[in-house]
Amino acid sequence: MKWTLLIAATLVALAASVLLGPAAVPLNSDIVWNLRAPRAVLAFLVGGALGASGASLQALVRNPLADPFLLGLSGGAGLGAVLAIALHLSGPWALPLAAFAGAIAALVLVYRMGMIGGGALDPRVLLLGGVAVGAFAAAVTTAIVSLADAAELRNAFLWLWGGLSSASWDAVVIVGVYTPIPLLVLMGASRPLDLLALGEEPARYLGADVERVKRRVYLAASLLTAAAVAVSGVIGFVGLVVPHISRLTWGHRHRALLPAAFLGGGALLALADTLARTVVAPRELPVGVVTALIGVPVFALLLRRWTVA
Amino acid sequence: MIRRLFLAVLMLAACRPSDHPAVQASNRIVSLLPSFTEILFAIGAGDRLVGRTTWCDYPDAARDVPSVGDGMPPNIEAVAATKPDLVVLYNSGPNVTAALQLERLGIRTVLLDMNRFEDLGPATRRLGQLTGLEQRAESLATTMDSLTYRPLPPPIASIAFVVWDNPPIIIGAGSYLSQLANLAGARNVFDDVAAPSAQVSLETIAARNPRWIAVLSDSGTAPAFAKRREWRAVPAVRDGRFLLLPGSLFGRPGPRSAEAVRRLQAMLGR
Amino acid sequence: MIDVRGVHYRYPRGDRKALEDVSLIVEPGQFVAVLGPNSSGKTTLLRVALGALRPQTGSATIGDRAAHDYPRQELARLVGVVPQREDNLFPQRVRETVLLGRYPHLSMWGGERPEDHTAVQRALVACDVESLAERWLWTLSGGEYQRVRIARALAQEPRLLVLDEPGVSLDLRHEMALFELVRGLVDTQGLGVLMITHDLNLAARFADSLLLLSDGHPVASGAATDVLTRETIERVFAWPVALQTVEGRPHMVPLRQSKDAR
Repeated sequence: MKWTLLIAATLVALAASVLLGPAAVPLNSDIVWNLRAPRAVLAFLVGGALGASGASLQALVRNPLADPFLLGLSGGAGLGAVLAIALHLSGPWALPLAAFAGAIAALVLVYRMGMIGGGALDPRVLLLGGVAVGAFAAAVTTAIVSLADAAELRNAFLWLWGGLSSASWDAVVIVGVYTPIPLLVLMGASRPLDLLALGEEPARYLGADVERVKRRVYLAASLLTAAAVAVSGVIGFVGLVVPHISRLTWGHRHRALLPAAFLGGGALLALADTLARTVVAPRELPVGVVTALIGVPVFALLLRRWTVA
Repeated sequence: MIRRLFLAVLMLAACRPSDHPAVQASNRIVSLLPSFTEILFAIGAGDRLVGRTTWCDYPDAARDVPSVGDGMPPNIEAVAATKPDLVVLYNSGPNVTAALQLERLGIRTVLLDMNRFEDLGPATRRLGQLTGLEQRAESLATTMDSLTYRPLPPPIASIAFVVWDNPPIIIGAGSYLSQLANLAGARNVFDDVAAPSAQVSLETIAARNPRWIAVLSDSGTAPAFAKRREWRAVPAVRDGRFLLLPGSLFGRPGPRSAEAVRRLQAMLGR
Repeated sequence: MIDVRGVHYRYPRGDRKALEDVSLIVEPGQFVAVLGPNSSGKTTLLRVALGALRPQTGSATIGDRAAHDYPRQELARLVGVVPQREDNLFPQRVRETVLLGRYPHLSMWGGERPEDHTAVQRALVACDVESLAERWLWTLSGGEYQRVRIARALAQEPRLLVLDEPGVSLDLRHEMALFELVRGLVDTQGLGVLMITHDLNLAARFADSLLLLSDGHPVASGAATDVLTRETIERVFAWPVALQTVEGRPHMVPLRQSKDAR
């Protein structure tokens, strides 16, 4: 029953994304087919990637407040993007590729920091390292912006706030081919993630290869997040709040939680993007603002439920 | 201690910029906006300039004036080092702070608005006052006013100014660029947006289907976003109907604005 | 089943050996208790016995294979471990957490089968927590939670049960109930049990064989009457005790240091 509702909600969100928009256009128009439809699908894929990534990262670092962007990836992506603009790199894919490269660089750095010897990954060091790398990248980014052609780069900050305006069928195909692989890795790690929630030692005694699972989950979740940031900037709160909302209905078993978080994240981002496009039409809000405006009250409600219960 | 504080507050209150009576015409002027630089040269005060920003590139003689940085924000030390008796700044939040700092050093500052064509006349007249060249300034200001308040020609084409592509940022009615378009006979499809610039959905641009996409560009080639698949949903992008406007001429209101209008008119007529 | 012989172990950054020439045997149907003061090497011995640590000298086998040779999942089907600490991150119901014990039997993509649910039910009944099956873990008392953890280990359907200080922070009733439960499992299901415990008296009462460690050295092993003598306890724990007999087993009573103290 709950799966039916979730799938229905997702389909409604996607339909709304395609049917609603700032411009009143007939459904068979170029705009709907080449702009709204790929944007709706991309929102779904990015939101889903963030939801699944957030759920698995929360289990990995054993912290329910973990968000995919805590690991320094957004800082790295922003730095890559700003460098691409400052160096006037040309080509339509220059910005996303540079952002992706920046995110991967941050991932490698944080991964090295988290490796405490003997192939063991320490999640607490991952978190601290992620915050440090992210802060450093943000500082370098701000320095570059303040030193270089300020007008152009100020607009780059708007990109960082998150937006799906670059959505096209090309982007959908690339993201659509890329995402299933890390997603499958995460799904395969569902049972060990359940065990990891007990702690590393109990998980080991219940048969989980803890070190391998940590490495795989960290890399898969980070790769998902890197792709999301490269394509659409930093969209906060989806990776943080959607797993918690999903847990309320599906519990903590990751075999059900991960798909639920994927669908829920996709639906939420599609909805947020529709609102971003229509609420102040013809102007558009950055979608990261809308997810924060929706996410924070929902999060506060969740916190109340937890503390009251 | 309280007395000193009180006195300091009084002094600060007294030091409001642009409040000095024009006792003496300024001879050593730093201009921190290209528009002001152009106006000063146009009224014959160019030889009094001792400092300009890196953006001040017109007329050619302006390049001989030493640069004090890009002006965003103004480099107080560099400005003060030129020992000016007047600094002219564009009226904005950060510049008000910079002006206060300069005033504290005993340097006279004047903040002027320069957002729309309506600001050209008053700014020109004020600069004339400050330099003692009121007559020449008046004649230039009158020319500018006649441009500003000219009846608008019927629009012959629709236009959208795209400042940034990801996310898409357009120029709205609040910007002088929109006025420039109107004077040249183009209707800004985003004249319902009151702000000078705003982020919009790509589909809005596509739906409003402007005949021309205008970009500030010195390169002469189509902008990078022209190749992006999603932008090709905008017919003007798909068909390559770009207006590439050189930044020096079109990027600032000033004495050459009439020429800018003429150039744009010619481009639209193609 | 568990056969540890003459192991020496030093931690990578340790300045002294954690275990020196320690041996331990646990057979099916046998309840072995490991005792000793803090930092005497009890948990280290457990980890070596289970192959989590490799001793520099000596051997640790389970069945016919070296302990470290077992793939994790296969070992989990053989040995059920209840470690000292568990920090359960997300809220769960009892049945769900006991079901985690079936994971060593599940394939990566396969679902739970009827025999898994049966095993869970059997484990719940054996540990007398069936009535708590739908309760949330945070609503349980300490004693109930411990029994649930043992049920989870039982759900693994192991031949051997290993418990690391299970009675810590349990009150009298719950601690006794826990030892009775473990003894019952040994007697009725033929499980082998290796338990680390602080409680000398309960170890003496319930275990078949004791091993007393001190500073990584084995001090005594065998029947309770042989291991728990007054001289031995006073030497190892550096405290005066008196020895009594309760239900046929030694029962030690710690004495006040000196009558005129305070």
